[in-house]
Amino acid sequence: MNKLHKSAWFNLGFVTIGCFVGILCFVLAASRIEEGFNHINVILCLIALCIIIPIVLIIARKKSYEAGFDEREKMIDRQATTLSVYGLVIFLYLTCFIPFVALGGGNTIKIIYLPVVFVCTVFISQLIKSVTIIVQCKLEQDNG
Amino acid sequence: MGSENLSNNIRRLRFDNGQMTQQELADKVGVTRQTIIATESGRYAPSLPLAFKIAQTFGVPIEQVFQYNNENS
Repeated sequence: MNKLHKSAWFNLGFVTIGCFVGILCFVLAASRIEEGFNHINVILCLIALCIIIPIVLIIARKKSYEAGFDEREKMIDRQATTLSVYGLVIFLYLTCFIPFVALGGGNTIKIIYLPVVFVCTVFISQLIKSVTIIVQCKLEQDNG
Repeated sequence: MGSENLSNNIRRLRFDNGQMTQQELADKVGVTRQTIIATESGRYAPSLPLAFKIAQTFGVPIEQVFQYNNENS
C-alpha cells in the first residue's frame, strides 16, 4: 500500500468520524434548542465546531503527504479532487432543488438543516475523493 | 493518464543493467514502484523530467527508452 492509498484511507476514516460527531452534536443541539439557548447548546455547538479541526488536520496531513507523492500520484490526487468537486456541486444542487420541487417555493425549512447540509457536503466530497483514489490504487495493484 | 502512442524499453534496459529491479529504478529516479510499473506497462506517460531521469539512469539517450508512434504520419 503506497502513501497515496494510505492517505486516502486515513482521509476517509477521519472525515467519516468527524462528520458523524459533527452531525451528532448538531442533532443533540437541535433537540434541545426549543428549551432555549443555554450553556449545553453552546457546548454542543462548540463540539460541533470541532469538525473544523479535523478538516484542518486533513489538509495539513494531505500537504505533508504531498511532499512524498510522485508525479503520477499527484495526478491521481488531482483527478480525484476534480471528481469530488463535481460530486459536491451535484450534491448541493440536489440538496437545494429537491426540497424546492418537493415542498414548493413558499415553504420553510429548519435552520438546523443548514449545518447538516454543510457537514454532508464535506463528507460527500471527501468520500468521493477517497473512494476514487482507493479504487484507482486497487485497480493498479490488480494490474500488477 | 494513458499513453496509447508511447512505447518503451524499460524492462529490457533494466535487465541489461544488471537485472535492476523496479524498486531499484524507482528509488534512483525518485518515484514509487507503482509509477515504474505503470510506465513500463504503457499505462502511464511520464513527464519529460522523469523520462530524462530514467534515460540517464540507464545511460542512454531518451529515444532509446521511449518511442512515440505517430499514427497520423
